Amino acid sequence: MNLLKALFFLIPLLLLFGCYDRIELEQQSYVMAIGIDTTDQENQYLFTFEIANPEVGSATAQGGEGEPPAEIVSVIGTDILTATYTANSVVAKKITLDHTKIIVASEEIARSDKFLSVIQSASRSPQIRRAVELVVSKEPAEDFIRNNEPTMEKRPHKFYNFMLSRAAQTGIIPQATLHRFFQITEGDADVFLAVYATTEQSKEKERGYEDNYIAGEIPQIGGSPTQFMGSAVFKEGKMIDILNGEETRFAHILDKTHDMDTFLATIPDPLQPEYRVSYNYAQKNKPQINIDYQKGKTAKIKVDVEYQVEIIGIQSLINYSQIQKYRKILKENITNRLEEKAKQLVKKSQEQYSTDPFYWSLYVRKHFKDVPSYEEADWNKNIYPNAEVEITFKLDKLEFGKMFDDSNVSEVRD
Amino acid sequence: MGNRGYLRTQEIFAMALIIISIKLTDSTPSLLAQKGQNGFWLIPILSFALILPGFLLMIYLLKKYENKNLIELFESILGQWFGKLIGFILFLFAFFAMTLDSRNYVEQIKLLYFPETPSDLIFIIFFGIVFFGAKKGIEVIGFTSWISFFVLNFFTFLIIVLIWGDIVVERIYPIFGSGLDHLLNQGYQKAAMFSEIFFFLIAYQAAKQTEMFRKGIVIAFTYGFFLIILFYFIYVSVFDYNSIQKLAFPFHDITQYVNFGSFFTNIETIFMIFWLIAAYLKFMILLYAAGWIFGTIFNIQNFDPVLLPLAFLVVTIGLMPFNSIMNELVLRETLFMIMSPFFIFLPFLLWGIALMKGDLRK
Amino acid sequence: MARFIAEREKHNQQEQTVHTSLQPNLEEIKKLFSYGVNKDFSIRTFNLFSNQKKACLCYYSSIVNGKTINEHIMEPLLQNKGESISNIVSIENIEKVNSFSDIIENINSGKAILFIDQSETAYAMDVADFQHRYISKSENESVIKGPQDAFTESLNSNISLIRKQLHNHQLINEGIQLGERSKNEVNILYIKDIVNDDILNQVKNKLNQIKVDNVRNIEILEQYIEDRPYSIIPSVLYTEKPDKATSYLEDGFIVLLMETSSACLIVPVTFWSFFHSPEDRYLRFFYGNFSRSIRLICFLLTTLISATYVAVSNFHSEMIPPDLLLAITASRERVPFPLIVEVLMMEVAFELIREAGVRIPNPLGPTIGIVGALILGQAAVEANIISPIIVIVAAVSGLSSFAIADINMNFTVRLMRFIFILSAGMFGMLSLTGAFILFFMYAASLKSYGVPFFSPMSPHFLSSKDTVFRKSVKKELFRPDYLKPKDLQKKQKKG
Repeated sequence: MNLLKALFFLIPLLLLFGCYDRIELEQQSYVMAIGIDTTDQENQYLFTFEIANPEVGSATAQGGEGEPPAEIVSVIGTDILTATYTANSVVAKKITLDHTKIIVASEEIARSDKFLSVIQSASRSPQIRRAVELVVSKEPAEDFIRNNEPTMEKRPHKFYNFMLSRAAQTGIIPQATLHRFFQITEGDADVFLAVYATTEQSKEKERGYEDNYIAGEIPQIGGSPTQFMGSAVFKEGKMIDILNGEETRFAHILDKTHDMDTFLATIPDPLQPEYRVSYNYAQKNKPQINIDYQKGKTAKIKVDVEYQVEIIGIQSLINYSQIQKYRKILKENITNRLEEKAKQLVKKSQEQYSTDPFYWSLYVRKHFKDVPSYEEADWNKNIYPNAEVEITFKLDKLEFGKMFDDSNVSEVRD
Repeated sequence: MGNRGYLRTQEIFAMALIIISIKLTDSTPSLLAQKGQNGFWLIPILSFALILPGFLLMIYLLKKYENKNLIELFESILGQWFGKLIGFILFLFAFFAMTLDSRNYVEQIKLLYFPETPSDLIFIIFFGIVFFGAKKGIEVIGFTSWISFFVLNFFTFLIIVLIWGDIVVERIYPIFGSGLDHLLNQGYQKAAMFSEIFFFLIAYQAAKQTEMFRKGIVIAFTYGFFLIILFYFIYVSVFDYNSIQKLAFPFHDITQYVNFGSFFTNIETIFMIFWLIAAYLKFMILLYAAGWIFGTIFNIQNFDPVLLPLAFLVVTIGLMPFNSIMNELVLRETLFMIMSPFFIFLPFLLWGIALMKGDLRK
Repeated sequence: MARFIAEREKHNQQEQTVHTSLQPNLEEIKKLFSYGVNKDFSIRTFNLFSNQKKACLCYYSSIVNGKTINEHIMEPLLQNKGESISNIVSIENIEKVNSFSDIIENINSGKAILFIDQSETAYAMDVADFQHRYISKSENESVIKGPQDAFTESLNSNISLIRKQLHNHQLINEGIQLGERSKNEVNILYIKDIVNDDILNQVKNKLNQIKVDNVRNIEILEQYIEDRPYSIIPSVLYTEKPDKATSYLEDGFIVLLMETSSACLIVPVTFWSFFHSPEDRYLRFFYGNFSRSIRLICFLLTTLISATYVAVSNFHSEMIPPDLLLAITASRERVPFPLIVEVLMMEVAFELIREAGVRIPNPLGPTIGIVGALILGQAAVEANIISPIIVIVAAVSGLSSFAIADINMNFTVRLMRFIFILSAGMFGMLSLTGAFILFFMYAASLKSYGVPFFSPMSPHFLSSKDTVFRKSVKKELFRPDYLKPKDLQKKQKKG
């Protein structure tokens, strides 16, 4: 019985003990996106936190109407964690980064040498997950976050979540988790592709097709001003270039470690080049990558891609599906075009970046016995820029959708 | 307390498995990766190969000298005083391994889940629970281990399934990491990563039949070894060599990284629960084994009261003000280096003496 | 001192034997049973027809069947001839008694005593007719598929219910008298060629060691024979279903019954005896195991869901998916209490409804539903005292507690829930996991009559592996070996 009495006294005491890490849900504010910008001062950065407003979009909350879906706070600090404490001078609650979905870096800071050290401080804390995605914005990150006003998905995390996963499925932006960023950057061989996005319309590109844009160039009417398209190329933790949507797709196609679903694209009609043929590109198997390497010789990189195509629309109404000769022409045309584009990208990377955006360094590693000899051989200075790259696309299956033939426009009009 | 004959193969198996395979969740992999780079997952294979003959020899000796536990075996082979001395060294090893390991676990809990709580308090709570659990005796620990084995196993494989998509096999190349000579050297130095299995030999008489003990521990050793290799392989192929060196707790980095689709993204706490259960059980077994070794050396039949001062000592020494990096990279590494030759060569020494004395011909 | 002497005197009286002549016997009886004051004590004097001797019949009129006395005792005695009394009366059970202590016991247990002049023996005739409820449907352990009858407050009916299902001459029903002042009988049922004698003797010893004035019923007895009165986990199984009792008897368990209770006790127990319901076995293999798995989930939910909610939202908010997190946060913004207080409040409120619901008189029953639903559901949320999520959590944890049919285990689980909530409030998952593992180990360390609590799962014993899930009925080959039954094999395996 004495035990029981003691327990009665102990329990409130124990509850007091638990103060250290106990925090009520409503005492925290949840950051969904972090923006990083440069400032005038050396080694001081502008951090922007997008804090979700729990009362918007909840059925149970009374009031909260008219409040914005997110509170956006920008403060200056040396790294993300200390900035959260500074931000507490503005925000009433403890700032929690556990639910951060994206980190937005402005193109300006991404191109500077400081970027790696800023981002590394993030990985030290368990609060920022390795699955957080890295986005580079054309304008300052603060402006990006402030201008980003999705019309349908009010809650910011929802928007980022849907946007990034859908766009990555179609291949126009890469999957750019911090995990991958650190691996590639620390691996010091390949380049990393981050998502490229903007909320500012730049001058629209004159003759663009569906994917050879970068963010900001896509003509659009209505919808939210935010555009996710293309990718920022990071070499050794520093941004060096931008790939457009099409190039990003090819980086996906040639990289085994990226998952990509199908995408839709068009090519000029091979028989009547003023029209275009739209097709659905699908890749069932990962590309086969083989590297022949012997010390002192040029490496030979051989890439085989098997793909499938489903024709969706033929503007010229030429009967490709039933005439075998035409079909063959179409097949060759698509394959050639893909190969040519891929080669262009490889060439660009060899010459401009002197390393690859396809994570190909993985496949040369088995030719080395240990890390020192591999590092000595130097993939990104020595092996890749001089390598002979051979890319073969092989069309596996050509389908024409569920209809055999298009209706003849002239007959219909008749 | 002691042996009422309820423990069978599966309970011994579960206990031995927990104390061996939990090595894959602490910072042992990053300790190995410091020197081995991405070849570190091969190190346990070598360590296993070095430890296994000695381990089997110990089992053989225990079988030959029936009705003796580990310390009594030392005494009957090496004579009472020298046997006790070796036993005491074993006790010290068990004690320090437990102390340094527990500090390591407390750091993990603190860094990842309770950043604002002082380590002291976590240490006290952790070891308080371990102490009360250990007091229940080896049988209850055995039952609990076996029943939780299914759940722990399920979640272990769940992690493997969830991380599967992020494995890039090519990352294991260059196959020998920092170089074959480094790996061999490390394999020898870190052979003591399997040292817990020797501490557990003290429970030789705990099972219903000693044959069950032998079977259980050998199966657990092999299975645990494969689990370790499998997970180390996953660490290498998920993180790559440069990253793995920088991560203190790759297991937790994996649990933080995996997700069930896009809705459940931060699920590490689920794995933390089961990891905690395993960690509690591991230290209960170790504490009990250390108490048992101590009890046998000093002829204390009922060594239950020893557990409290022992647990207290672990906490006090564990709380000494080294930071976690120091604990990890210096102290644990040193302990491994001292223990490794001991466990590799001791069984052969015992066997040789026993052979000369002619005890084995019976 | 005086009281002590008086007690001695009383003791001597009881040792007295029956006198030869009727008159002193009658005097004695009248004194013992306070004849005249004690209104239902009846004495009837008459002359026997066979030898014209004076005789007298005494009994408690309230506990005997008057019709039986008339038809089978009085009428034969007044009309028939015969050499001995047993040849005259047509009652089923007649016994000769010599001492007054026996007479007292017999009258108390509903027998009529016949004194005859010039005879040193009295006759005890069983005409007992204790009033009891008729056998009715089981209310606390209801099943959909399976026998519906339940024990009632009558030993004979209860044994009859068991024997009806178990036609086995090895089924023994042994009686042990308990109590110093009021002697009540405990019946021990077991199957002689299966039960383990060690356990049986342990049970008997325990019963014999009880030295109290009165053990009124099985519910009190349960507390006398349990191993650990202060333990939170029960060590005796209590059931009102005869089919459940029978199935345990068949496996070699021991069943205790008393006249006064509509339930029985089963010893020894394991965790599984609390977890299983007889219906699992009546349902087909998949259906039975499905309901087992639901029950397992309920077990975990009811003990852990509130605690997990506290731990997760107070310490590990990162694991809540963002949409849910924002929803909970929004609903908590105006709540004035810390989350753990909220949870405790709701849990206590639920227990309140439950306790009140049991005690409330039947006509008022519907009130509790209305009040409960109004106060706990709607009003409390609208008044911003609690957040709506808590209502869901408390409802789930309360609802799933009803899936644990055994009342003892039910209390265990409900009490543990509070301990887990408090421990979760201290250090989140760290202390919650610790509390859970310690609770689990405590349970694993328990033994009931030498049987470990989690056997046959761990420690392993040969059995039909009826633990979380059961095997198909055809594959149940063994009785549980943890009881060390005399006959382990249930049925022969057929090829």
